[in-house]
Amino acid sequence: METIAEARSTRVVDINNLNIHYGQKQAVFNVSLGIVRQQVTAFIGPSGCGKSTILRALNRMNDLIDHVRTEGSIRLDGEEINNPMVDVIELRRRVGMVFQKSNPFPKSVYENVVYGLRIAGLRSRAALDEIAEKSLRSAALWDEVKDRLHDSALGLSGGQMQRLCIARAIAVNPEIILMDEPCSALDPKSTVRIEDLIGELRRDYTIIIVTHNMQQAARVSDCTAFFYEGCLIEFGATKQIFTKPEQKHTEDYITGRFG
Amino acid sequence: MNADVPGNRPQHGLQLSKRARRLRRLGSLAGQGFLLLITSLSSLAVLFIFIFIAKDAIPFFTLRGFAEFFTSTRWYPSSQPPEFGVLSIFFGSGIVTLGAIIVSVPLGISAAVCLSDVLPFHLRQMVKPVIEMLAAIPSVAYGFFALVVLAPMMQEKGGSVLAVLAWCIGAPAAVLVVLVLSEVLSGGMPVRFRGAGRYGVGAALLGLAGWGLWRASAFLNAIVIPSGTNALNASVILGIMALPTVVSVSEDALQAAGRDLRMASYALGATRAETILRVVIPAAISGITSAVILGIMRAIGETMVVWMASGNAAQIPTPWFDFLQPVRTLTATIAGDMGEADHVTGSARYHVLFAMALCLLAFSFACNLASEMVVRRTKRRAG
Amino acid sequence: MSSRSTRRILDRAFTGLGGFSTLLLAAALLVILVPILIKGFGAFVFRETVEHRRMLLDLYETGDRAAVETEVAAAAKAREPVYAMLGAFKKEVEALPAPERRKLKSDCKDLEKALNSLLGPAPGTTQPILLRQRYGQNRWDRAQVAIGKVLYEEAYDYSDSSQMGKKILVPRVERFRGTSLEPLFDYVRDQSKAMLLPRWIFYGGFLTHTSRDAHFFGGIRAEVLGTFYLTLGAMLFAVPMGVIAAIYLVEYARDNWLNSLIRSCVSTLAGVPSIVFGLFGLAFFINTIHVSGSKSVLAGSLTLGLLILPTLIRASEEALRAVPHTYKQAALSLGASPWKSITTVILPAALPGILTGIVISMGRAAGETAPIIFTAAVSVGQPLTLLKTLTQPTPALSWNIYNLCTEHEAVDEIRHVQYGMVFTLVLLVLLLNLSAIVIRARLSRKLRV
Repeated sequence: METIAEARSTRVVDINNLNIHYGQKQAVFNVSLGIVRQQVTAFIGPSGCGKSTILRALNRMNDLIDHVRTEGSIRLDGEEINNPMVDVIELRRRVGMVFQKSNPFPKSVYENVVYGLRIAGLRSRAALDEIAEKSLRSAALWDEVKDRLHDSALGLSGGQMQRLCIARAIAVNPEIILMDEPCSALDPKSTVRIEDLIGELRRDYTIIIVTHNMQQAARVSDCTAFFYEGCLIEFGATKQIFTKPEQKHTEDYITGRFG
Repeated sequence: MNADVPGNRPQHGLQLSKRARRLRRLGSLAGQGFLLLITSLSSLAVLFIFIFIAKDAIPFFTLRGFAEFFTSTRWYPSSQPPEFGVLSIFFGSGIVTLGAIIVSVPLGISAAVCLSDVLPFHLRQMVKPVIEMLAAIPSVAYGFFALVVLAPMMQEKGGSVLAVLAWCIGAPAAVLVVLVLSEVLSGGMPVRFRGAGRYGVGAALLGLAGWGLWRASAFLNAIVIPSGTNALNASVILGIMALPTVVSVSEDALQAAGRDLRMASYALGATRAETILRVVIPAAISGITSAVILGIMRAIGETMVVWMASGNAAQIPTPWFDFLQPVRTLTATIAGDMGEADHVTGSARYHVLFAMALCLLAFSFACNLASEMVVRRTKRRAG
Repeated sequence: MSSRSTRRILDRAFTGLGGFSTLLLAAALLVILVPILIKGFGAFVFRETVEHRRMLLDLYETGDRAAVETEVAAAAKAREPVYAMLGAFKKEVEALPAPERRKLKSDCKDLEKALNSLLGPAPGTTQPILLRQRYGQNRWDRAQVAIGKVLYEEAYDYSDSSQMGKKILVPRVERFRGTSLEPLFDYVRDQSKAMLLPRWIFYGGFLTHTSRDAHFFGGIRAEVLGTFYLTLGAMLFAVPMGVIAAIYLVEYARDNWLNSLIRSCVSTLAGVPSIVFGLFGLAFFINTIHVSGSKSVLAGSLTLGLLILPTLIRASEEALRAVPHTYKQAALSLGASPWKSITTVILPAALPGILTGIVISMGRAAGETAPIIFTAAVSVGQPLTLLKTLTQPTPALSWNIYNLCTEHEAVDEIRHVQYGMVFTLVLLVLLLNLSAIVIRARLSRKLRV
C-alpha cells in the first residue's frame, strides 16, 4: 500500500471542490480527489451517484449537455482544464474515453482505429498502418481481426467491438483512458477479456473506470473511490476499501446492504 | 515527472493562446453563422412567397375592391367591361375538395387501420410500396388518366360506369351491414329461435339490400353524363391522389398510440374492433385529424388534375351538389388564364390571379396552423 | 350488452372493411397504372408500316437504305392497282352527265383524301408542304383506323327526332356501285398488308429522336432532355441548401424562438400549393431579379428547387437524427472538432437516408408541372444545349403531356405519343422510387448486421 504522500507526488489528475449542476439540480457536491499515474482507479457507487458525471467532467464531455454547470478545479498535469481558455480538442486527445455501449463507427475496422489520427492530420499510410497494428495488438484484438481489417466494424461481436473502441482510443496515444462501465453490455467471457486487457494497459496508461460491479472493481483497480448521492464518501487503496473500509456507508454498499 | 511517460507523448500545453482562442471562436461562429444563413434563406423563401404574391394581388383589390371578388359568381375576365366574380370558382375548389375528402378519408382511415392493426407484417411490407407508388405518380399522369381514360368512359358509357362502381363498392359493404344487422336484430329473440332467426333475418335483409342496390344501379344507369370532365371525375382522381397522405399520416398516428394501450384493452376481453374503435382511434385522433387536414391541403392545392378533369366551367351547378356538372377551381384558373393575362401592362386580369393565389396561400397557411394546433393541444393534454 | 357472437361478427365485419379498403387501394393503383403502362409500351413496340421506315430514313437517316427502297418499291407495286382504278374512274366520270359527274367527283375527292391519309400522297403528285401529309400511316394500328375511313364514311341518323343525331357508318362502296371504283374497296381491305408491309419493331428512337411536325413523327428527345435539365438544376440548387439546413437544425439549433420560427417556415413552405410556386417564380425570379429575360430552364429549376426544399430538409433531418449520438460522442472523445465529427462520422452514417430523400425528391421535381408552366415550359421547342438552359425555355415531359392531350390540333392521331410520354415519365419516377426503396432496404440490412 502506497502512502498518501507518495500518491500525491505522482498525481496526474487533481480534482478540487468539484460541484456540478444539471440546471437547478446539483449532481456532484464538493468532490476532491487525486488520480495516480499509471494506476487503475475505480469509481463505484449506486446508480445516479454522480460517478459518470465526474468522469465526463475529466474530458469536458459534459459540455455537450445543455444546462450543465461545472464549478471547482480539475487539473491535468497541473494545468486547469475547467476553464474557457482550454483547448478542448487537445484535452480530449489526451484524455481518451470508452463508452458504456460499444460505439464503433459504421466504417471498416481499420478506419475506426485510425480515425483519431486521420482527423489530427496524419496522412502517411505507413505510419497509420503501424499505429493501427500496434493499437490493435495492445487491445488484444489483432489476431482476431487482422484478416478482416477492411470489413465493416459492425460485423464484429460485442466484446470485439468494445475492444475495438479501446484500440481506437489508445491509437491517439492518450495519457488517461476513461472507461464508463465498459463491460455492462457484455457477456462474462468478453468481460474477462476486457478486464485482462485493463491489467495490461495500466503499464502504459492511467485508467479511470466507472463500474457497478464490485468484483470487477476489486479485480482490476488499484484505488477505489466510493460515491453516494453526489458526494465522495471514501477514497483509498482498493484492498483497504474492500477489506476494512473506514466508513459505515462504504461497508454497507460493498457488502450489499443497499444499492 | 514527464520523463517516464511512455511512448514519448507530445506534450502541448492545454491552454490556448488568446489569439488562437479568438481565431477558433471566430471560425466556429462564422461557420455557425453561415449554416444559419443558409437555413434562414430557406425559411425566408416562405416570407418572400407571401410578399411577392401579395404585392401583385393588392393592385387588384385597390382597382376593383373586395365585394365583387368574393360575392359575385360572374367570371367574365375578357369581356368588355370585364367581370371578376370568383365566388363560383371558390365553390368549384370547395366542391372538388369535398368530393376528394369523401373518397379518401373513409377509405384512407380504414386502410390505415388495416395496415397498422390487421395485416401481418409481410403483407404490410407488400402494401406499403403500393402506397408509395400512388404517392409518387406525377399529378399530370393522374390528370392524363382522368382526361384520356376516365372522361371518355364516363361520357360514352354514362351511368353504367356509376352503376358498376356502385355494385363494386355497395355489394361488399351491403354484405357487411347485413351480417351485422342480422346479428343485432336476432340478438333480441328468444334463445330457442336465435339460430333460425339469424338466417331468416339475414336472408330477408340480404334480399332487401340486393333490391336496393339493383334499384340504385338502375337509377344510376339511366343517368346521362353530358360531359366526362366534371366535378365527379376530378373528385375521384383527387381523392386517390390524397389517399397516400391520409393513409401514411394516420397510420403513423395509429402506430404511435402504442402497443401497451392495445394490450391493456385486449387483456380486458375486448375484440379487435372494440379495441381500435374505442381505444386506439381516440388516442390517435389528433394524428388522424392532421392527416385529414393534410389531405385537404393536397386536394385544394392540386393543379393539373383539376385543370384536366374538372371541365373548367365557372359556374355553381344546380342543385349545388350535382357532381356531374363541370366546375372550375382556383388552381386551374390560375394555370389556364395566366397565358392570356397580359402581365406586361399589369391589368386587373393579371392581378386577379395573384389575388386567387393569395387566397390559396392563406388557406394552406391556416390549414398548417390548424394541424399544428391540433398536435400541440394533444401533446399538452398527454404531457 | 351485445352477445358474444354478435361481438365476434362485428369484429369480423370490421376486419373485412379494413381489408376491403386496402384492396380498393391496390385496385386503384392497378386501374391507373395498367392502361398507362400497356398503351405507353405501344409507343416503343408496335407494328410499323413501310411508311414509317421511309420516314425514318428520310428524316433521321436510320435504317438500311437499300432494304427500305426495295420494300418501298414492293409496296408501290401493290398500290399500283389502286391508282390505276382511280385513273380509270376519273376518265369514266368525264363521260357522265353534269349533276351526276359533280356528285361523283366530290365523292371521289373524299375518297382520295382518305387514301392519301392511309398511303401518303399519290405517285406523280406534287410534294405537300406539311410534313405530316408526305407520309402515309406510320403505325399499323393507326393504318387500320385509316382503312376504316377509306371503307366507311361517317353519317348521322336523324330518324328519331326526339334524340340527337346518331353517328352511323355507311360503306363508302355504295356511292360507287357500278363504277370502275367498286372493286377498289375490296382490294384495299384485302391487300392492305401488301401495301403497307407492317412489321413488329422496337422503336428506341422514341426517346432519342427529336419530334418533327408537332409530334406527328419522331420521338420526345427535347422533352426528355428538358425534364433532365430541370430536375438536375433543381437538385443542384436544393440539395446543398437542404442538407446544410438539416445539419444546422439537427446539430446546432437550440430550442429558441428563432429556430422554432425556422421550423414553422419550413413546414409552411411544404404546404404551399405548387401553382403558387409557379406564380412566385414568375413574379420573383423572372419579373423581379431577372435571372433571365423570360421563361428559362434556370428560372424553372430555381422554382422547382424551392418546391422540393422542404421535402429534402425533412428527409435529411430524419436521416441525421437517426444517427446514434454515441457516434458523435466517440468522435469528440477522440479529439475531433464538432464540425469534423459531422463531416467525418455523422454525414457518412446518414448518407443512405439523405440519398433516399434526394432520389424521392428528384422524382417529385421531374413530375411537377404547375411550377414550370409560367417559368420554364414551352409547348414546342428544340433540344437545348447546356449553355442555353440559362436563357431558353424548354419542352418538358410533364408540361407536354398536358399540352399534347388538350391543345394539340390532332389529339386522337398522336395518342401513342401522349401515352409514350406518360409511360416514360411514370416509369422514370417509379424507378427513382424503387431505387430509394432499395437503398433503404440495404441500409436497414447494414444496420442490422
